[in-house]
Amino acid sequence: MVAILRSEGWYKFRRNPLSMVGLGLVTLIVLLAVFAPLVAPYPTHAGAFVDFVNASQPPSATNWFGTDLIGRDILSRIFFGYQVSLVLSVVVLVIAVPIGVGLGLVAGYFGGWIDYLIMRVTDVFLSIPPLVLAMAIMGFLEPTLLNAMMAVAVMWWPWYARLAYNLSRSESHEGYVLAAEVIGAPKWHVLVREVLPNCLPAVFTKITLDVGFVILIASSLSFLGLGVQPPTPDLGSMVAEGAQYLPDMWWMTVFPAVAILIAVLGFNLLGDGLRDALDQGR
Amino acid sequence: MRTLKHTVSAAALAAAIATVPLAAEAQSVLRLDEVAVGELDPAKATDFADTMLMFNAYDTLLLPAQGTGGLVPHLASDYSVDGNDFTFTLRDDVSFASGNPLTADDVVYSYDRLIALGQGFSHLFRDHVASVEAVDDNTVRFTLNAPYAPFLAALTRLQIVDSQTAMTNELEGDYGERGDYAQAYLSANSAGTGAYTVTDHNPQELTLLARNDDYFIDIPDGAPDEVRLVYGLEGATVRTLMSRGEHDISSQWLAPEIVRALADRDDMHLFTESGTGGFYIKMNTQRAPLDDVHCRRALAHALDYDSVIALIQITDEVAQGVPANGPLPAGMLGANPDLPVPTRDMEAAQAELAQCAYDPADHTIEISWIAEVPLEERFALLMQVNFQELGFDTEVVRVPWALFTERVTQVDTTPHIGQVYVRATTPDPDALIYNMYHSDVAGTWQSTEWLNDPEVDALLEAGRSTIDQDERAQIYRDLGARLVDLQPTIYAFDTQSVYVARDAVEAETLMGDGSNSYSLDGANFMFRHMNVQ
Amino acid sequence: MSSTFFKTIGIRLWTSALVLVGVSILIFCIARVIPGDPARIALGPNATQEQVELLRERLHLNESLPVQYFEFVRELFQGDLGMSLYTNRPVTTDIGDFLPATLELVVFAGILMVMVGIPLGVLAARYRDKLTDNVVRLLSLLGVVTPTFVWAVFLMLVFAFYLEILPVAGRLSQGVDPPPGVTGFYTIDALLAGQWSTFGNAFSHIILPATALALTGIGQTARLTRASVAETYDKPYVEMAQAYGFSDRRIASKYALRPAMIPSLTIMGLDFAAMLGGAFLVEAVFAWPGLARYGVETILHKDLNGIVGTVLVISAFFLIVNMLVDIAVAWLNPRIRLQKRWAG
Repeated sequence: MVAILRSEGWYKFRRNPLSMVGLGLVTLIVLLAVFAPLVAPYPTHAGAFVDFVNASQPPSATNWFGTDLIGRDILSRIFFGYQVSLVLSVVVLVIAVPIGVGLGLVAGYFGGWIDYLIMRVTDVFLSIPPLVLAMAIMGFLEPTLLNAMMAVAVMWWPWYARLAYNLSRSESHEGYVLAAEVIGAPKWHVLVREVLPNCLPAVFTKITLDVGFVILIASSLSFLGLGVQPPTPDLGSMVAEGAQYLPDMWWMTVFPAVAILIAVLGFNLLGDGLRDALDQGR
Repeated sequence: MRTLKHTVSAAALAAAIATVPLAAEAQSVLRLDEVAVGELDPAKATDFADTMLMFNAYDTLLLPAQGTGGLVPHLASDYSVDGNDFTFTLRDDVSFASGNPLTADDVVYSYDRLIALGQGFSHLFRDHVASVEAVDDNTVRFTLNAPYAPFLAALTRLQIVDSQTAMTNELEGDYGERGDYAQAYLSANSAGTGAYTVTDHNPQELTLLARNDDYFIDIPDGAPDEVRLVYGLEGATVRTLMSRGEHDISSQWLAPEIVRALADRDDMHLFTESGTGGFYIKMNTQRAPLDDVHCRRALAHALDYDSVIALIQITDEVAQGVPANGPLPAGMLGANPDLPVPTRDMEAAQAELAQCAYDPADHTIEISWIAEVPLEERFALLMQVNFQELGFDTEVVRVPWALFTERVTQVDTTPHIGQVYVRATTPDPDALIYNMYHSDVAGTWQSTEWLNDPEVDALLEAGRSTIDQDERAQIYRDLGARLVDLQPTIYAFDTQSVYVARDAVEAETLMGDGSNSYSLDGANFMFRHMNVQ
Repeated sequence: MSSTFFKTIGIRLWTSALVLVGVSILIFCIARVIPGDPARIALGPNATQEQVELLRERLHLNESLPVQYFEFVRELFQGDLGMSLYTNRPVTTDIGDFLPATLELVVFAGILMVMVGIPLGVLAARYRDKLTDNVVRLLSLLGVVTPTFVWAVFLMLVFAFYLEILPVAGRLSQGVDPPPGVTGFYTIDALLAGQWSTFGNAFSHIILPATALALTGIGQTARLTRASVAETYDKPYVEMAQAYGFSDRRIASKYALRPAMIPSLTIMGLDFAAMLGGAFLVEAVFAWPGLARYGVETILHKDLNGIVGTVLVISAFFLIVNMLVDIAVAWLNPRIRLQKRWAG
């Protein structure tokens, strides 16, 4: 890893200002999340705290982003919200992406009965609505954050499988792949060295967008009582619950939504930069 | 089914064409909403939307009296009581929408159907009524197994169905001679004597009702010609529709913030309905540390009641509830005015805690709230802060309704604290609190206290079997005092349903003073009492 | 191509039927694991234990799972999906009532996704790392990170509350009769019947919900198209085309776009199919009487037959859409030899 970063790729990454902005944003958010207890103006507002006298106040000098229905400082809760939301989306994607991409690549490249088996199983998983799955999990597992992440990962991987499948199915007929096969390169080698890299741009783009999606889907799980529970803040729930009070109490929705936007923008720019850098290295 | 719908819409079309030349007399329309679904079958109806439909499309032998409490004859012109025999004489001027006259056979059919299907409000009668028979065309007799005081009030939930229409629409089914007992037909059509008839019904979307000008009571001219009851509108949608003048009455389930925003407009006013139920914070009396009465009392003293009330305040005058002093809401038979209204008192709380056998530090109190009722999150967080002041560790959990009903069936999985709104299903105190506190029926969403107290059981049974109303009132007052002492529940407030209405709509039954109100939730939405300009 | 093509399609349909059977068994079991007693929930809060037992008996809920499933399949072959405990009507009636409304909404949203998302993505790729690219990036991300529910409320507030130029709720205005049912799509039915004012009314009602539903997909499509098209611009054959002096436009449409469409198409297909079940928040805000809301309510009410019925519909929709996408991918890259790979 270090070697790669010292290489030509890192040089290219560094030269692209947008990539550096992305890196900066992601670093900033991670720091805010880690040091939330220190940087949040009202750290107690992330825990057991109510102040109904100061509920639903618009942005002001004391509460820059206003307060919520419980009287808690929204800025503070955004910093703490990053903790849960970031961990959640990273863990989910770390589980779902390799499984999905791996199965999709194999199905698309090898074809035949492997293709049928893997892709029809994928279809089955796509058919189960997330809510049904979440409710079912509530039936026999503890409603912990970890189980919530597992639930999201289970519903997430088929999308990557379909994506990688159609890409590898197409790539496997490109000249360079056929050429590699003709000169007798082992199939697995061709798959990993030739087909996979050509799927990466789309996969990377999808991942950076999914950072936002996962944060949002988590809010519907927490509605069902699975995962993050009040008073612990998570960004998705803040947006979803605030939306009922638009337009009068716009700050309850807008600021958490912007917080998610910044995170996704950061990951998106960083992802684009990383991909270009890796591309260079190849 | 399909053809039926087409016939109905063809009829509606014909009616529309017929009225075109009279366009000057525009149809007055009342538009309102409720949560989905609307159940149209009288043997299955229970929810608020269902109740609205029932009290408009159907009639009952008795109705709650307007403004005063008690009951008055409605489809019955008169009734007499002789021991366990109740004999009703039917009015002779009533006919169904089909034109069939009302007879005693219709009453018997409606009752048999309710009991055979075993759903809806059948439990109000099943164990108590021995037989129902038509004495003659105009007389029907109910015979009870034993004295059962809530019986007459229960009759406000027995809708009388047009037996001839129903029987001609029976399909094949599980009920022998009665086929499907016309379930398919009655879930899509009304067959009652009501002031309104259903012209179209989709349980998830919309019910259309049209005024029945042949109703046996004169309907004032101002009452709406047509009613559109829409299901499942979002708060933001109701708000937009109302400010565009495209919706007339909101449901009671809007968040207080949205009600407030709408009430601030000068073309809107508020309707209220109260006196039928309360908001109960229920403690599991069989799970440590709340199996000790002193710990329960400590929590009750620690709650910040003023903040609770502030959370449900809509305007300076109107709130979604008023402070409660016991299990029965003020105004209901047997409500005890002598009980003190609880207030937050940390000294008293600490004193009770000192007598409690448990050390608060050893126990985590699980405070649940129903995911579908966002307001309860705020109550839960308030309790969390209040109870932590006593040294209890707390955990707030959000539970969807379906899961809640499952969890409360076992003592061990019933949360320490549950929050529920409960309303009397008939205008009788028994309908509100028997199912909460009798040890025989513990383990439902209404009885998450798991209370097991012989004295309470005895009082509840006496309340049922005593016929004299004054004696009954005393029994329920004693029961109230006993329950406040045992403190299985924190009595947070008596509920008041608040609706936003456009100024163009008036309803004498929903005014704040209650002078013309029925003492039964939903009955106040009899559209014939409303005035649409 | 044709005979093997149809043979492959045949195999695909046959395996899809197997998938449906698998899904039906799976969802049949999963639905029964969801906490809550269906009979108790259906009977409402005031039912007694005795009433609940009676209904459980009637619904065969006390039988073993295989017996219940067998009973379900037997009725399924008579075209009966059982009664919905949520609406107290046959599930087939409910689906027949609600599916067309959601399909119409989803199809409009899908059209928006293609018509707006892809051009935006191509534009961004063409002006890669320029201002246009970054503006499109920001807009797409905004589309992606804002929950559909918030878009729905936002669009309603702007166009129905403040500007009052579009209707708020439902599929038609009050007093407008639905056009004679052929497809169940009010817009198309109105056109078929030549009812222009009804068409205009139905169309004005579908704009806001379809837009709210499509915005997330538009953002995703734009980003994915941008990524793949930009990548393809670096490929030798496009560079060659540029060397030959072909116009940018021709390169974009003919060379860069076709293979680059594969990821966008795949994700659009999934998005499109997922909307059938995922549109419930939009349906709730715009009072759209659709299947998505029915599906969610059946889950929350633990309406066993309703859950199985809606999931089977959604599943069939996924299978069809995925099959079409796979065919389209083969068409976009003619080098894929369907027959060899698929026949194994």
